[in-house]
Amino acid sequence: MAVNGALAFDGVAFSYGNVAALRDVSFEVAAGERVALLGRNGAGKSSVVRLVTGVLHPDEGTVWVGDWDTAGRAPEELAWRVGSVFQHADQQLFARTLREDVSFGPRALGFPAPEVRRRTDEALDALDLHAHAAQHPYDLSPALRKLAALAGALALEPTVLVLDEPTAGLDRAGRGRVADAVREHADRGAALLVVTHDLAFAAETLQRGIVLDRGRLACDEPLDRLLTSAERLKPLGLVPPPVAALSVALDLPGRPVRERDAADTLARVAGGRSRS
Amino acid sequence: MSALHPFSLLAIAAALPAFAWILPAPTGGLATAGLALMLPLVPDPRWGVRVVRLALLTAAPFWLFLRLLHDGPTTVAIGGRITTMVASFVWLVAVLSPDRLVEAMVARGWSLAVAYVFAATLSAVPVLKARARRIVEAQRCRGLSPRGSVANRLRALRALALPLVLSALHEVDERTLALETRGLGAGVPRTPLAAPPDRPAERVARWALLLLCLAALIWRLA
Repeated sequence: MAVNGALAFDGVAFSYGNVAALRDVSFEVAAGERVALLGRNGAGKSSVVRLVTGVLHPDEGTVWVGDWDTAGRAPEELAWRVGSVFQHADQQLFARTLREDVSFGPRALGFPAPEVRRRTDEALDALDLHAHAAQHPYDLSPALRKLAALAGALALEPTVLVLDEPTAGLDRAGRGRVADAVREHADRGAALLVVTHDLAFAAETLQRGIVLDRGRLACDEPLDRLLTSAERLKPLGLVPPPVAALSVALDLPGRPVRERDAADTLARVAGGRSRS
Repeated sequence: MSALHPFSLLAIAAALPAFAWILPAPTGGLATAGLALMLPLVPDPRWGVRVVRLALLTAAPFWLFLRLLHDGPTTVAIGGRITTMVASFVWLVAVLSPDRLVEAMVARGWSLAVAYVFAATLSAVPVLKARARRIVEAQRCRGLSPRGSVANRLRALRALALPLVLSALHEVDERTLALETRGLGAGVPRTPLAAPPDRPAERVARWALLLLCLAALIWRLA
């Protein structure tokens, strides 16, 4: 397989003992692309995250991070290229201050102090966490600890960012902060792979949807097309987000799935009707 | 083995270390260590080997430190006793379901709070083990290498141990609140739904173990 993308799965299979988690999964994520990894619980999404980070290695096939085959590479080596936030990421915080914790990754990789400071400041800025930088992570709410864990991953400035349920437990404002931060990071050229059940977040933030079903790749296409196809989502255990459902119900031109796009389209349609 | 009444399992796990310290060293300690290491092999040798391996790995550092501090005979004498304690506890954690223990204690009229202390201690082991694994993975993904020199490993230890302890302590708050709101402190006896059966033979065996311990103690003191 020619490796063009920042991240590529080539015929990957993985089992936990006798239980197959992934079977013959292949896809690529290009630099700057924002991809949602969707599917029911147990479909194999978290296994994909663990394979990308090097916590697991495939039984068959190859996982490519750029031109690196992850086989034989430890997670700490892949940390040069892959930033990750796991489901219980807030449990990894340990430093005395949030700033110190966010700077942990760049320090562990041995960057010089000025570079560590720059990366830490930028990551804190991206998630609007400067006001809490001097606080102990465990004095923060679980939602802020989740943002802190994401800031720690952003501080690595990875070329591939994989997030497992980054919006779970976050309110609308928190989800907005995550959306802005990851969009900005992808705009700088990082490939983004987000495991999520939050299809509204996916519709607003991500471009392409990959759906896993019982360990197999069931779908790989642009999210706006996928999310407006309720009949295809249903057998995969997914429900269209409200804006996508509204677009379909009103038969809006272009079937927008993002709030702003839907509002613009509605305004155009309403404007057209009032003129006529 | 796990079909035994939880009190019987506790009695065996408590009696073996008691015998280890009461009976003359090194024979007593080594014999009880041997028994404690054989216990897991009885129901299922393949499962038992894993338990025995864990017990031996846990006991190994104690032997190392004892050897650094003492001569050979003292090391064997104390090492046998410590191995008995470790192997008994590892076997107990592997074989005793915390839920069954709580049910048995409640059925016998113990306070739920006391039962919870026992159960929480036992159930914490697999939970903390899983959490420790998650933390190690997360920190390695942030570039932390837990390998290499001793100094490197010690540096890594802080990043691995602190989140485990902090998150566990933090969880205590939430767990306490959850239990309080579900009536833990209601002050009325809890209804046991599936109290484990306590056969007369097991009750006799438990009393026999206790009497044997007392007899051994009297014999040693006499």
